[in-house]
Amino acid sequence: MEKAKITPKQLFVLVVLFEIGSALLVGFPVGLKQDAWIAILFGMAGGVLLFLVYYRLFLYYPDLPLTSYVEKIIGKWPGRVIGYFYIIYFIYIAARVLRDFGELLTSTIYNRTPIFLIMTVLILTISYAIQKGFEVIARVGELFFATVYLMAIVGFFLIIFSGLIHLEHLKPVLEMGWKPIIKSSIKETLPFPFGEMIVFTMLLPYLNQAKKAKIVCISGMILSGINFILATIINIATLGVDSFQRSPYPLLSTVSKIQLFNFIERLDVLFMIYVMISGFIKVAVFYYAAVIGTTDVFKFKDCKQVSFPMGILILITAMMIAANYSEHIKEGLVTSAVYLHLPFQLIIPLVLLGTAFIRSRIKKASEA
Amino acid sequence: MSILTKMLKKKQVQRKNDNYRQKLDPSKPEELVIQKDYSANVSRIEEELGHSADLVIRQINIGIVNGALLFIDGIVDGKGISEFVVETLMDKQISSREVDVFQYVMDQTVALGSIKTITNWNDLYNALLSGCTIILLNGYNKAISGETRGGELRSIAEPTQQLAIRGPKDAFTETLRTNTALIRRRIKSPNLWVESMKIGKVSQTDIALLYIKGIAEEEIIQEVKERLQRIDIDAIMDSGYIEQLIEEQTFTSFPTTYHTERPDVVSSQLLEGRVAIIADGSPFVLTVPALFVQFFQAPDDYYSRFDLSTSVRLLRIISFLIALIGPSLYIAATTFHQEMIPTTLAIAIAAQRENVPFPAFVEALIMEVTFEILREAGLRLPRAVGQAVSIVGALVIGQAAVQASIVSPVMVIVVSITAIANFSTPVFAMAIAARLLRFALMVMAALIGFYGIMVGLMIMAIHLCSLRSFGVPYMAPLAPFSGPNQQDVFIRYPFWAFKDRPKFIVKGNVVRTGENQKPKPPKQSSHKSDKLEENES
Repeated sequence: MEKAKITPKQLFVLVVLFEIGSALLVGFPVGLKQDAWIAILFGMAGGVLLFLVYYRLFLYYPDLPLTSYVEKIIGKWPGRVIGYFYIIYFIYIAARVLRDFGELLTSTIYNRTPIFLIMTVLILTISYAIQKGFEVIARVGELFFATVYLMAIVGFFLIIFSGLIHLEHLKPVLEMGWKPIIKSSIKETLPFPFGEMIVFTMLLPYLNQAKKAKIVCISGMILSGINFILATIINIATLGVDSFQRSPYPLLSTVSKIQLFNFIERLDVLFMIYVMISGFIKVAVFYYAAVIGTTDVFKFKDCKQVSFPMGILILITAMMIAANYSEHIKEGLVTSAVYLHLPFQLIIPLVLLGTAFIRSRIKKASEA
Repeated sequence: MSILTKMLKKKQVQRKNDNYRQKLDPSKPEELVIQKDYSANVSRIEEELGHSADLVIRQINIGIVNGALLFIDGIVDGKGISEFVVETLMDKQISSREVDVFQYVMDQTVALGSIKTITNWNDLYNALLSGCTIILLNGYNKAISGETRGGELRSIAEPTQQLAIRGPKDAFTETLRTNTALIRRRIKSPNLWVESMKIGKVSQTDIALLYIKGIAEEEIIQEVKERLQRIDIDAIMDSGYIEQLIEEQTFTSFPTTYHTERPDVVSSQLLEGRVAIIADGSPFVLTVPALFVQFFQAPDDYYSRFDLSTSVRLLRIISFLIALIGPSLYIAATTFHQEMIPTTLAIAIAAQRENVPFPAFVEALIMEVTFEILREAGLRLPRAVGQAVSIVGALVIGQAAVQASIVSPVMVIVVSITAIANFSTPVFAMAIAARLLRFALMVMAALIGFYGIMVGLMIMAIHLCSLRSFGVPYMAPLAPFSGPNQQDVFIRYPFWAFKDRPKFIVKGNVVRTGENQKPKPPKQSSHKSDKLEENES
């Protein structure tokens, strides 16, 4: 653990940027057609419940990150093993997000640039930030938050004034009934992005006012959820269900449709800036969690020793996880949802919470 | 960095003691103090100053006691010495042996404002070399030092670096006392404290530390003092030396101390809880802690109305961005993202660039470097030839370079806008940062287009967020963000809402404006005008 303290405001900003991060690129549950936004609503509700589990764990051990209190709850060696797996999980997701980002750039603008170069440049930037410490990441987040929201508001009004919104695309509501919506909420929108809040169990001890953790994180999740829903509705209303389903990056297609006064057009740059910022924050958070997790589990003295090698590891993982984009997406939405997100986001935390609860009861009983 | 420090360490040679203080052997206490025999003292001073030509020694005789008057010619007020010291000393004659001559001279003869008794050599040299007059009397193991500093000095002139349309027109000079006086005249509060110290082993430069007790945070004052006391260097030629020795981080192109030549700026910054450092011999005064946003605040912002100053400030921020990323945007757009440019313009640019043999990056680099050379040459040129350079610059760089197909006209426009935009940053140190980083961003843009620019800006943002100035985060109040502290960032609030001192610097004494300061029209006057209208009708 590094000696850093962040304010509730900074945590809020990080949560929002983190949650809407790559979700706005690849996270739309397109299988649901015009009802995609309902699934996000459910996913958000589920995510908040899931966060309450993480929060209870945090309340039991307010000064420790996940990898430390796992050892306290289930014993030294099993705890270390679980902590080790969590580190790998964080590295994997960091690599996934980095790959998402690289794929986006290579498939849209930099067709002839190797993806490796693009990802290397970004990971170097992030490792520079990690080297500077968590406080700096939080402060950079504040700067970026303002930038992102300024752009989002400008973009929002431009879309409206361009007359692109056709709300009739959103009808009929519940064409396929509730069942696919609930299924997709559990499989798609809950684990990604809302369940990824698990990474904040590593970072909550840095908050300088522990009491505000709950309200800050939940309001951050709700704000990002609302943004996500808004973006989905705008995308569907602008593109229509058909293009929405087929477009690899629906938001990019929406933004590039803006045309105003024959002058304001080709605003892909706005989207690019957004992608870079959100990619940066999201990878940085996972990367940092992996770094402090490693220092914690392997008892390094200084987390800065680990930061650069960890960056290389993430970069190589990002290169290796998939041969091409479709494999990458399928792996993310299908395989990792069942085999990774489910245990790491839901099962292990629940088991930990149960054990911690019983332990504290036993302790109380023995004291009494 | 660590390798660099190691290399420096190996080369380090034991420093010699160039300071007369350390020449004295502390084990022989009799060498440290002034002796009773005045002629021995005088000859020792002569010897130790190497019989310097500017040392003036005048023998005096006050009745029964012999003595000498010493001063350094040129740095003293000669008229004052002859009128208030020599003349009065010659008038008085003591014949009685009972009177304590030393006390008598001090109390009754030397007609100077500030007078001190000195017993050791250290103080004697300090006083003598900073322009005091020393009186040594036979039979006394102490000396009198009278404050007679003076000599030829530059008078207060108008500021040359930080110009303002409206506002006071005086600037600091090279004299420490004049500079403190300029601030003292503006803040007539007993809480304005001036501390002094000497820095520089050889030069013994006077440094003054100014702050307002009760507003400035004790921690910051202590920190500044500690850093100043740590300085061990031969000489301080300008406050720039101090700046580089006390700043938090060397490897940054952003200034983490603020310098100005305007006493009004220093005064207002003192009132915001900052600490000012004045070095003798430098017309630039340092203030710390310095924040990033502070470098976009010009003095006019506070002297003109808030709407005007706000819009001008926004303009300044935009032009800083232009100065930073202007050429790199052009490079990226023409090299990688032609689809971003409106079609007609794209065709026009392509037509212009048809004859230009270089890629956009090389073209931009040629122009930027040429411009920087022109600028530097313009700065160093003797004034008489200045005009020649501007003609050459305008004609050759502008017209001829385009006609010779070395650069395209659009590039000339881009470079000129960038150059002009760079001058609108109120503080030169910040403008230089943009100037330097511009080249790095140009390289990034040439390599990978907009993505490169974004990465460059991100690294810059990370770097800025990691900087601190005397413990205060450099990007405050943007990151860490603070709502109530936005009074003086992008928008300069009207003075009635301009309530708080920056809270990152001041913690206790925060409020600076009273309640109900918003101007309102008096109610009666409106009645009067109504009545007038009624009468007219």
